Amino acid sequence: MKKNITRIIIVVLIVLVATVITHFDSFIYKDPVMKIQQVKVISRDKSTDEYKNTDTQIDQRLTGILLNTSKKGKKVTLKNSYYQSQLIDQKYRKGQQVILSKSGQHYSIKNVKRDTVLVFSLGLVIILLFCMKFSRSKLLISVLLNLLVYFGFIKLLIHNNNNYLLIMTVITSLLISGIALLVILGPTSDALMAYLSTVCATTLSILLSVLLLKLSGNSGVHLELTDFGLQPYFSVFLSQVLFSVLGVILDETMDISSSLIEMKKEVSDVKESALFKAGINIGRELIGPLINILLFIVIAEHLNLILLYLSNGNSIGYTFTMTLSLGFTQLLISSIGIVLTVPITSFIASKIITRRAY
Amino acid sequence: MLFLLGAFVVLLLMVAGSRAFSLLFGLAINLISIVALLILIADGFNVLVTTAIISLIILIVAIYMNVENSNTANIAFKTSILIVLIILLITVPLEFWASAQGMGIEDQEELEAFSLAAGVSFPQLAIAIIVVNSLGVISETSVAISSGLNEIILSKPTLTPKEVFADGFSVGNKILSTQTNTLLFNFFSATFPLFFLMNSLNYKAVDVINNKLLVAEILTMLICAMGVILTVPITAYFVYRGVGKKSIDSIDK
Repeated sequence: MKKNITRIIIVVLIVLVATVITHFDSFIYKDPVMKIQQVKVISRDKSTDEYKNTDTQIDQRLTGILLNTSKKGKKVTLKNSYYQSQLIDQKYRKGQQVILSKSGQHYSIKNVKRDTVLVFSLGLVIILLFCMKFSRSKLLISVLLNLLVYFGFIKLLIHNNNNYLLIMTVITSLLISGIALLVILGPTSDALMAYLSTVCATTLSILLSVLLLKLSGNSGVHLELTDFGLQPYFSVFLSQVLFSVLGVILDETMDISSSLIEMKKEVSDVKESALFKAGINIGRELIGPLINILLFIVIAEHLNLILLYLSNGNSIGYTFTMTLSLGFTQLLISSIGIVLTVPITSFIASKIITRRAY
Repeated sequence: MLFLLGAFVVLLLMVAGSRAFSLLFGLAINLISIVALLILIADGFNVLVTTAIISLIILIVAIYMNVENSNTANIAFKTSILIVLIILLITVPLEFWASAQGMGIEDQEELEAFSLAAGVSFPQLAIAIIVVNSLGVISETSVAISSGLNEIILSKPTLTPKEVFADGFSVGNKILSTQTNTLLFNFFSATFPLFFLMNSLNYKAVDVINNKLLVAEILTMLICAMGVILTVPITAYFVYRGVGKKSIDSIDK
């Protein structure tokens, strides 16, 4: 117990030190970093636009000192103008650190310095993990390995200019799901079984969905609305679907197959058909919550844009077509995957498990 | 899209049988709640208050419609509400600090045709986004842990409260890993177009780390992870209180 408390204190200290260091790390920035010391509101301009939205445009004068580069310590004054709703502009506060860009003799604000809050939040997660009796090492290893694979994926993607996006996504998905299963279940035949089910279910559901989409001629699906209009639209969209559904399907296959293994352990002469039925029964309960998870994630992703459309006088129908049609297509493909996983996993698991002796 | 919807409904009917109707019903209610949330916010209602109320409705539907055992459902519901409140408390200062609301300059092309003076508080909406994002993950986690723990208690009724906590963590370990995967893979799905774009705009590493959109995604993932982690001890605590009460009752008798 005492050892545990010392360990927590050490982790807290490390997190605090890391946070403080990133607060004072402006020397690693090539662009000038300014600490805002004084904020003065110059003017407020309340306006109502053609859609009857009332917003206030505010001009502020910011004074601060530079924290790095050769002009360290120099006083800089600049103007900033923002709408109170702050969609893409920004209200600046005293004490904030901002990254500047310089053109000629003029400074303008490029970005808020956000690295400190990132390190702090990450630290908070780690502290929470250390406060509790989780098996941390496994979790951290799997997250780190997956991040590493993702990093490699991004590097290759950039290198190849998106040409092999879909193939690379498939390989990456095979890798990250394999890593996740290996770390959680260990190098066992159970992991192999879950892996097989995951791969089969995901492949089948994606193929089925692509077929259906082609049959309907992509009607009602605005593929050109992928994030940032990244090309080729269809590959980008499918890659996003694949990544987002993978975690949920992994969860599902593991749940079903481990319950079936438990069953076999308890009743060693259980029939294949009984196991299959049990699998379907367990899976049924999982479908609703898993679709819910993706539903909320998909909608949350688009909330900003939806509200912008709505506040610009668009009808709900038009707004949803423009913002959520892709999201809903993604959700439907994922839901088909989630549903198909139940019989596929039950089938594969019951076949393999009945042939095994416990 | 209609083909996909049809395929989904047919498959659902085949796999889930009569259960499919209540599933579809639950999903429909959740969708309607979300649409209501959007309309209310667009009409100028306070973002945070509206989000809190709608979250409550969504949690009730997500938990009570999917769980048959009322004891499990009650514990999961209490836990989820507490967790969503905690998430709100964590998110408010972190979002204020990070100023990662709204959209980025990377979205500018998309925004050209809009009046940006929307009158909606996007800093508050950023908080709402994280809360909505967490709802599914939190309700699933709390249901999984409380039903797992209740099963253990049923099979071993002599369990002491301390053992309940230990079991909570052993059940929680697996759920924590799977939920981390879900969150992480969704982060991958959301960010790879962004990374690609940032590369073609020649961003340097420091620009990437401080980028508004990326920071918002990372914060969402981390805060949801905090919610999942905290779900384990809180569920165990509620189950433990239930066990404690029961043992006192049996002593009285």
